[in-house]
Amino acid sequence: MTALLNWTKRRAGPLIVFAILLLLWEFGVKLFGIKEYLLPPPSKVWVEFLKRAPAVMDAAYVTSRQLLAGYLLSIVVSVPLALVVARSRFVEQSIYPVVVFLQIIPKIAIAPLFIIWLGFGFAPKVIIVFLLCFFPIVVASVAGFKSVDPEIADFARTTGASEWKLFRTIQLPQALPDIFTGLKVGAALSATAAIVAEFVAADRGLGYLLLQYNGQFETAMVFAIIIILSVIGLAVYYAVELIERLAIPWHVSQRPAGVTGA
Amino acid sequence: MHNGVDKIGSSVDIAGVAHVFRRGDMVTHAIEHVDLTIAAGEFVAIVGPSGCGKSTLLRIVAGLLRNSAGNVKVAGRDVTGPQTEIGIVFQSPVLLDWRNVLDNVLVQLELRGLDPAKYRDEALRLLGKVGLGDFTDRMPRELSGGMRQRCAIVRGLIHDPPLLLMDEPFGALDALTREQMRIDLEKLWLDRRHTTLFVTHGISEAVALADRVIVMTPRPGKIDRIIDIDLPRPRNKEIIASAKFSEYCEEITECFMRRGVIQY
Repeated sequence: MTALLNWTKRRAGPLIVFAILLLLWEFGVKLFGIKEYLLPPPSKVWVEFLKRAPAVMDAAYVTSRQLLAGYLLSIVVSVPLALVVARSRFVEQSIYPVVVFLQIIPKIAIAPLFIIWLGFGFAPKVIIVFLLCFFPIVVASVAGFKSVDPEIADFARTTGASEWKLFRTIQLPQALPDIFTGLKVGAALSATAAIVAEFVAADRGLGYLLLQYNGQFETAMVFAIIIILSVIGLAVYYAVELIERLAIPWHVSQRPAGVTGA
Repeated sequence: MHNGVDKIGSSVDIAGVAHVFRRGDMVTHAIEHVDLTIAAGEFVAIVGPSGCGKSTLLRIVAGLLRNSAGNVKVAGRDVTGPQTEIGIVFQSPVLLDWRNVLDNVLVQLELRGLDPAKYRDEALRLLGKVGLGDFTDRMPRELSGGMRQRCAIVRGLIHDPPLLLMDEPFGALDALTREQMRIDLEKLWLDRRHTTLFVTHGISEAVALADRVIVMTPRPGKIDRIIDIDLPRPRNKEIIASAKFSEYCEEITECFMRRGVIQY
């Protein structure tokens, strides 16, 4: 609970800056008489959003589900894969380079393929989110699992402890800071990935709605959706950061404040 | 529980041990034909120039490195893999950042499948003995280098190993901290009498601590001289300031001068 309170306290500064920017925007639009279809003031965005809130929130639910499913899938696959890469020279030399090579393919360019293979539903979006989040998590986790000091490893060998015990007691806690860095980069990418997936082909979700409103010059609604999307992305990111704070307080407190990898 | 002056450490028999590092076509003879017997409960220091293979020898005794030739026995048993009946301390403390001082000591027991709760009091006693009594719940990053190293030494001792291997344990410390650590280590050793193999660059440190000082030649490392240090314990400041102490240091310095390790 105190962790949550401290966290809110530290965010007070950015929140104030954000409020000032919103005010500038609101009065700037009115002052310079900018047309609403070009740049609607925040108040207009809010009013329009309230009018269509149920539809937008339904779409937000669809998108969030895809985003979370893809993100969780990438964690479940990446972290164990990273462990195998870190532990097996064979896998590191044979499979890891292939993974790195595949990363070079622009994943957004292959998104249409998943539509062909998997249709318009839930699955292709999850796969696209997974593909974008997967790599940063793998790379960071491999670095983490390999970061055990050789002398700690030597000390550990003199205790006769089992591999599993060494993993639990030393290798995993040692890797957690790096793994969380990867998870945060992945979290920041996940919202982008979810919306891109819906741009390619969808009949619902925020990405679909955004294109609809854009086509109808409903600029206020476009802004509303962008904001909702950012909030979803931020929520995921800060949820991960909060878990990090609770899981590895020893590391978090020794790191200078700031956003890692976002 | 462990106030074992009557407890006997492990003997160490090193016979004809050599080690060769190969890297591609490069062959480096780290140590050549080392014979050394360490009696149970003895404190032996190895001094030698950088790269003379003294750390290599220690790692071979620990079973962390396979010797290319010769034979090592600890407590009469051949060393064929990592030894577990030992305590080991390196130049850097290598503590676990996510554990406080006490838990860093107790990890030794957790990894060994022993009950840490049973060793809690002993851990607190030893930490008090090395001046960490008020810091047992601090995290490593909150400690100075010397305090971290003291924690590492207690971790190396808490399970009461019959053999303690120390690889330049004070190497990264400033002179004042080194001196205090040397005093603390002697206290612990007088308390426990575990056989100790102590690798160092420091001539006076070796003389101050050891029953016998092994002087190594530059690479390939061989034993140059073995000097018995006949000084009473504890080695207080009068003894360190005595003429006899200086003579021992002088003797070792001369060994290094003969080999060109030290030139005036």
